[in-house]
Amino acid sequence: MKKKGLGFYLKIYCKILAQDLKSKMSYRADFIISTIGMIFTNIAGFVSFWILFHNFSSINGWGYYEILFLYGFSLVSLTPVQCFFDNNWSLRAYVYSGDFIKYCFRPINLFFYYQSEIFDIKGLGQLAFGLGTIIYSWIKLGLGFSPLMLLKIIVFLITASLIMIALQNAAAATCFWINNSFYVLDLVTRFKDYAKYPVTIFSPVFRFIFTFIMPIAFIAYYPSLVILRPDAVPLLSWLSPLFGCLFFWLSYKFWMYGAMKYNGTGS
Amino acid sequence: MSNIINIKNVTKEFKVLNRREGLKGSIKDLFSRDYKIVRAVDNISMDIEQGEVIGYLGPNGAGKSTTIKMMTGVLEPTSGEILVGGNIPYKNRTKNAQDIGVVFGQRSQLWWALPLIESFNILKDIYQIGDNEYHNMLEMYQSLVDIESLLHKPVRQMSLGQRTLSDILAAFLHDPKIVFLDEPTIGLDVSMKAKIRDLIYALNKEKNTTVILTTHDMGDVDALCRRIVIIDKGKMLYDNDIEHLRGFFGSYRTLKIRVDGKLSKCADIVRKELANLSVSSDDEWISILVDEEKTTVMDVLNQLRNTFNIRDMQLEEISTEDVIKKIYEEGVK
Repeated sequence: MKKKGLGFYLKIYCKILAQDLKSKMSYRADFIISTIGMIFTNIAGFVSFWILFHNFSSINGWGYYEILFLYGFSLVSLTPVQCFFDNNWSLRAYVYSGDFIKYCFRPINLFFYYQSEIFDIKGLGQLAFGLGTIIYSWIKLGLGFSPLMLLKIIVFLITASLIMIALQNAAAATCFWINNSFYVLDLVTRFKDYAKYPVTIFSPVFRFIFTFIMPIAFIAYYPSLVILRPDAVPLLSWLSPLFGCLFFWLSYKFWMYGAMKYNGTGS
Repeated sequence: MSNIINIKNVTKEFKVLNRREGLKGSIKDLFSRDYKIVRAVDNISMDIEQGEVIGYLGPNGAGKSTTIKMMTGVLEPTSGEILVGGNIPYKNRTKNAQDIGVVFGQRSQLWWALPLIESFNILKDIYQIGDNEYHNMLEMYQSLVDIESLLHKPVRQMSLGQRTLSDILAAFLHDPKIVFLDEPTIGLDVSMKAKIRDLIYALNKEKNTTVILTTHDMGDVDALCRRIVIIDKGKMLYDNDIEHLRGFFGSYRTLKIRVDGKLSKCADIVRKELANLSVSSDDEWISILVDEEKTTVMDVLNQLRNTFNIRDMQLEEISTEDVIKKIYEEGVK
């Protein structure tokens, strides 16, 4: 048996992904309707955002385009969790019914195998929309461009994604212990909606919660500061890539610990 | 031949909450928890040789699934030793997974949306099956079942029978040493059952794969298994050849009669008359289990003819089903 490294997993993932997309596209009406739905969801989200913020020239020192940038940043950083980890939403049902056991018999990493089953294509529209928003506000803000800035934004987008994934993993994994973990997962998802606002507009209590307890401020706010306010970047921003990796690793361990403890129901 | 599975004095205990009755009880449960230990598997030992087909039987809740979960590495035994292909399943779950195949009758492990051939392709990568072995296997499948019609069909569009067939083929694909089949024929029609049995039989012969089969269908057992293991309430009741088992009850035959008059009434009279024999009745027949070492069927028949006008009769050898039923109910004497 050969060693199963990153290449091995990547190859399998691509294969599953390609097949999955192929089979999704074979249901044409379904594919078209969900694409249209995806576009409208994004437009609706944007319109409500626009109505809210267009009437104010600035909020707590944050200009319209800066907030727009945050919005785009949060959209892009929420894409991976939507695309690659959507099966977390079904985990509860699988565990509750005992069907989760079917994932336990393959000679590959359980977490990978479970998550690889679903690729949610809806996230791609969000990605396109988010990228457009970032580029648009970037130009309007006159931020200029350098390879270093590009590198920075990529690193911090990945960081932000890792944190969101970590939050969702941990929330989903609670179902290994409690029956109705839907509320935990739902709570995390609702909180992530606050990620697109600068954390300074909240009261100190929520600022603390969003930074240290449910670290959604890391999804857009702290990483964006590196691009938007390069003169006054707090230490937390620079540390966020480290936090991202750490949170992700911890959530993975937590998820796997739960899965190993799992013993299935009946037969 | 060498042993592929060694199970030695294995016990598995679960901690179960002792639930109190009613709403009041539930509230009490919230604050003071009263656990009891349930022994799902109790001191079981067996050795299984490469290439054997074993019927693993027992009534619902006997501990069959728990044993299988321990052999596949999903559960850790509370005490005792399990070796599967030289591995301790719980400690080397991934390594063990490479050596085994698992099929749960009702739970497909294939990718729901993908055509079967694409699932096979992904499994080929996951199990790192060589190109040659893979193609030989597919060729062999083609010679055994009509696989062409299945290969390009998404699993979700398949009937239950086709899905089970596909799952079994997928479980054997990487040429595992052992395949666990958990109620593979549950919910299938007669002809599909026969097909599945033939397939399992052929794959076992062809590849010398060890098959561990749990089922409630004695047709599966008769068609496939030479050795059966019976457990109940976690304890092992029987582990031997199926022929040997029939020998236990070999002297038993079932006499079925049809008589004039109301059946249930007559059955009661028969019961009174033949107090030392087991008598049952359904809509058409009165069945009498006769131990030929004690009385002969002829004697019983003669005795009954004095009281009844017997219209029709049948004589049946004891079936595996009856044997197993007797063991579930009375144990091995």
